[in-house]
Amino acid sequence: MASAASSASAIARSRSQAMRARLTAYGFLAPAGFLVLVFFFIPMLLILFLSITNLATTNFTTDVWRMATSRDPKYIVGLDNFERMFADEFAPKILFNTLFYVLATLLLFNVGLGLVIALLTAHVDRRAGFLFRALWILPRITSPAVYILMWKRIVAASPFGILNQFNELLGRPEANYFQGEAWVFIVMLNGFIGASFGMIIFTSAIESIPKDLMNASLVDGSTIMQRVRYVILPLLRWPLLFVTTYQTLSLLTSFEYILLFNSGGPASQTEVWSLAAYNRALNTYFANAQWGYGSAFAVVLVIIGVVMATVYMRVFRFNELVAEPKIEVL
Amino acid sequence: MKIVLENLTKKFGTVVGVDDISLTIEDGEFVAFLGPSGCGKTTTLLMIAGIYRPTAGIIRFDDRVINQVPPRDRNIGMVFQSYALYPHMTVFGNIAYPLKLKKVPKEEQAERVREVAAKMGIANLLDRRPAQLSGGQQQRVALGRALVKQPDVLLFDEPLSNLDARLRLSMRGEIRHLQKELGITAVYVTHDQVEAMTMADRIAVMNLGKLQAFDTPDDLYDRPKTLFIAGFVGNPPMNFLEVEVQREGDTFYAVNSALRVPVPAERGEAAARHGGQVIMGIRPEDITISETGTVRGEVFVVEPLGRDDLLDVHLDAANRLSVLADPAVHLRAGDTVTLALDTRKVQFFDPQTELSLLWR
Amino acid sequence: MATFTSSAPTQRPLTSQEYRYRQAETGELVGQAIFTALVVVLFFELGVVLFKVLGPLIQSSPRFWGSDLKVDETLTRALANALTLLAPFAAYVTCGARLRELAAFDRRRAVRVALAATIIVYVLVTMGQYVFQVGPFAEKPSLEMSFRQTDEGVLVTGVVPGGTADRAGIKAGDLIVAIGRAPTTADELKEKIALAKFESKIGLRVSRDGQEELMPVEVVPVMEIGLAPLVGGLILALILAVIALFWPGGLTPYVLMVVIMIPLLVGYLWLIVATFSYRTEGLLPVDASGNFGGFTLRNWEFLTRPGTSSYPSIWRITLNTLVIASLMAIIVLTVSSMAGYALSRMNFPGRRAFLSLTLILHGFPAVTLLIAIFFILRNIGKVPVLGDYFGFNTRGGIALVMVAFEMPLGVWLMKGFFDNIPWDMERSALIDGASRWRTFWEILLPQIRPGILALGTFAFISGWGAYLIPQTYSVGTRTATLAVYITQLTGDTAPVNWNEVAAVGLYQMIPVFIIFIFAQEYLLNIYAGGTKGTS
Repeated sequence: MASAASSASAIARSRSQAMRARLTAYGFLAPAGFLVLVFFFIPMLLILFLSITNLATTNFTTDVWRMATSRDPKYIVGLDNFERMFADEFAPKILFNTLFYVLATLLLFNVGLGLVIALLTAHVDRRAGFLFRALWILPRITSPAVYILMWKRIVAASPFGILNQFNELLGRPEANYFQGEAWVFIVMLNGFIGASFGMIIFTSAIESIPKDLMNASLVDGSTIMQRVRYVILPLLRWPLLFVTTYQTLSLLTSFEYILLFNSGGPASQTEVWSLAAYNRALNTYFANAQWGYGSAFAVVLVIIGVVMATVYMRVFRFNELVAEPKIEVL
Repeated sequence: MKIVLENLTKKFGTVVGVDDISLTIEDGEFVAFLGPSGCGKTTTLLMIAGIYRPTAGIIRFDDRVINQVPPRDRNIGMVFQSYALYPHMTVFGNIAYPLKLKKVPKEEQAERVREVAAKMGIANLLDRRPAQLSGGQQQRVALGRALVKQPDVLLFDEPLSNLDARLRLSMRGEIRHLQKELGITAVYVTHDQVEAMTMADRIAVMNLGKLQAFDTPDDLYDRPKTLFIAGFVGNPPMNFLEVEVQREGDTFYAVNSALRVPVPAERGEAAARHGGQVIMGIRPEDITISETGTVRGEVFVVEPLGRDDLLDVHLDAANRLSVLADPAVHLRAGDTVTLALDTRKVQFFDPQTELSLLWR
Repeated sequence: MATFTSSAPTQRPLTSQEYRYRQAETGELVGQAIFTALVVVLFFELGVVLFKVLGPLIQSSPRFWGSDLKVDETLTRALANALTLLAPFAAYVTCGARLRELAAFDRRRAVRVALAATIIVYVLVTMGQYVFQVGPFAEKPSLEMSFRQTDEGVLVTGVVPGGTADRAGIKAGDLIVAIGRAPTTADELKEKIALAKFESKIGLRVSRDGQEELMPVEVVPVMEIGLAPLVGGLILALILAVIALFWPGGLTPYVLMVVIMIPLLVGYLWLIVATFSYRTEGLLPVDASGNFGGFTLRNWEFLTRPGTSSYPSIWRITLNTLVIASLMAIIVLTVSSMAGYALSRMNFPGRRAFLSLTLILHGFPAVTLLIAIFFILRNIGKVPVLGDYFGFNTRGGIALVMVAFEMPLGVWLMKGFFDNIPWDMERSALIDGASRWRTFWEILLPQIRPGILALGTFAFISGWGAYLIPQTYSVGTRTATLAVYITQLTGDTAPVNWNEVAAVGLYQMIPVFIIFIFAQEYLLNIYAGGTKGTS
């Protein structure tokens, strides 16, 4: 656009005016730009830098310049952290844990259950639908500590555990769910939070389906299932794609509930990548917080995040979103 | 205020929206921009308003180049197709808004708003909100808002297309009357040729970003300079036939496989001078069904229009004519009719350049 | 939805469906129902196979990396088991549901057809189970004896005459003390048997009359099936089919909703019960000695407790949380609406770049930057004055980080809302003489009120419940919000009163829950706006 405008040299154009126009635009953008710079852009560079240092509790400093230049102690260790990470015997397991956790939670709950709830609440009385959706939002607004407390009580051993109380009533042996079924519950407790995101998106998409379309389908004498199959689902293609991509990314990096539930235990059985990064760098539970090593774990996630977000942008046909503004002056 | 467009061009990326338009709108004149949708007429209007910046060319108000003048300093009033009333303000607020921005004192604002509202016949609606008004009332508010700041130029972007047919008719007269009374230069964009023909002093016909013609309504109708104009202006549209014009003594005949009709000498001569195949245009109202007619054809479709029936008559495989007929005759598809062609207003065009052979 | 049957004897023309059903032979209808039911079973079994294959696949794959560590497969096993269990029931329900259209105008015939189809499907399913020895025909490893846990050990309460235990010489009244050399309990023994292979032997150390003896018992396959479960199963199947036939369709979503929500309902039921009792065992409130009862308001005393230096009063903290959440909502709104406006409505160099950046950030998981942001905040903290307000462990710093994380979504949503305002509105304002700032402020903002309310609510809710960021970037109670307060309650060295934690959690949740109920429509809007440009 700019080049087209500048080639129009026939016009005696006033530079200062174009300048003022831009300044206004940048003025609108400045606060957002500042936040992006300080809390996204610089941290991204910083985490790359930290991942090639051996920063830990023992040689801790927040002085980035000193880290970069100091010879004694020497901070920069090159790719050591990454070598160590790939050699880490837990790394492949954590990686597979992560894949498994993301896929299982996403398919079963965030997309699957979210869609089911949206379809169900769309087919009940409007007020009942509102109530059901409000109930589903509960896990999202419950303080994580309390939410996890709730789940811990569900799976706890006798006499506190709710499931084990039922086991007792049914005359079945007590089960140690923390040990045996850790994954089942991790996926469930995360899924019950994640489902509400898909639910809201799908509901608003279903509600925005033109009533004419539904009526036409009703007139044609379709059953509920036929309407779902032939009217609703085809129109939900984009929301489905949106929820899938968006939630993949957020599941990939959500770890606080696992942290609170069993901290990735028993014996790293349920540790996922982001939790590993957090545990190694920030969690004071391990006496020696290894900032550099933890950063290496985080860098892997940052790279995956950037790649997937870029794909996400492509998928959503970015070019169609940047239609030229239809006002060109100030 | 006089508006001058010189070689005005607007490109959106590589797409040319408006292509090298030059014209002058005289002070106090009412000019309509007429053309099919996407022809660049609204883009031209928005450049006059200052919303779009021209890619090339100059816009002058009187002698002042206003290319770089922001819209607020151009002293224009504009009425939009959607009216663009501010839904969160009352009618009073809407009309007063331009004055408020000009920092006109409160009392004067109120006075001027009331004055305009009275003129528009909406004085009793001042404390309503736009959503509570009918389409016609909204239209009047929008017009009032455009007029209240006493603009030098009034711009209209298809302002009547959202109104029902009867209201449209009465608003046409009202806008025209107001504009003449206030003597404000007006530019009126429309795709409705009846609107353009009835309201405008002159009409600028546009197609594909190009200015096709800039003439009075009568000239456009009777002396179309291009094939496009001839086909675009007039309803039902002009018939076009490929003919050869032959001279026999002092009489000129338009001849093709289906017909042979005499044409007026001064028109026939121009066509004959061009030689070979030319396109002859004849309006449906110049064709009558008559026993004495010389052209025979078969009625293909009958379209009742109310006052007339519109017939699609096939002369032969290549030649068809739209003809207006008296509904009382009760013609049906399949009937054979004989047609008399009144060739006094016949038009001739060069098939290659599509320019008129009669009017330069 | 389709049960208004013979309400009026008025003659009406047959619909095409009715016609089809009237024409069809009963046998044909039975066949169709059976076919559909079997297709359903097939789908379920496909699911079972999928999960059964997936499980070991998940479990074995890390070995390629030269590691013995296994990824757990309990989830896939649980899913496979659930599907296996549900498959027959789904088939019977299908038999009934398939004939609902017929039932709408010919009840008797529908029942007859459904019952016939169900019986046949039942026989087919049962035969299938017999052939594959699953379900009720599963052969389980058994020692053919019963036992229970006592104080001294595992007491044998009975043996099957002529069974494997009998043959090995075990008698009722024997006390099993160990398997091999390992001491055992009844539960462990059960598990051992369940996991044992057929024809292998389990060495039981049996104590009889004070003498211990090792008795190897062979594990034999036993099919524990009687006539009762088979007949019971058939009756259940028939009942299910008839229920499915006449089930009011409108109720299905409600029932399904409630069934899906059971874990949630149970969890929150516990939460409420817990806040009003001394202790809970399962879902039951109990008193100090473990008997039912023990209701108390003690857990809610935090509401009236005066503040101390380490535990500020709850009202202080509530106020704190309110201030932080509101501030965050306001800042997010301001920043996002300004940027959203510029991106939606203005042309400037770098617009494309900024737009794609926002979209990428919208998807980008900001949590990965936690470590780096820790250093950013630490370094901001070193700046004089500014550091006191926006550094590490300050309200300002925490709020800014939360705003930054919320912002890409906000910008994106706001852009969507601005995109939906007609251009003419803004053109009109510009022609009327407004500047871009004024247009933004006076004309456009009032028109995206729904969007502002939605994003505001959203930001407020997330600020109110924020946990990870305040938790990571604060120390002590200086910046306490309710979420942090709760974490502190749980992180003390003193014994934690979990029921009080639950009460504070409930207290924190209530306002947000109420807001959500009232703002739900706006919030539905927000996402409609957020994904609109993309579809």
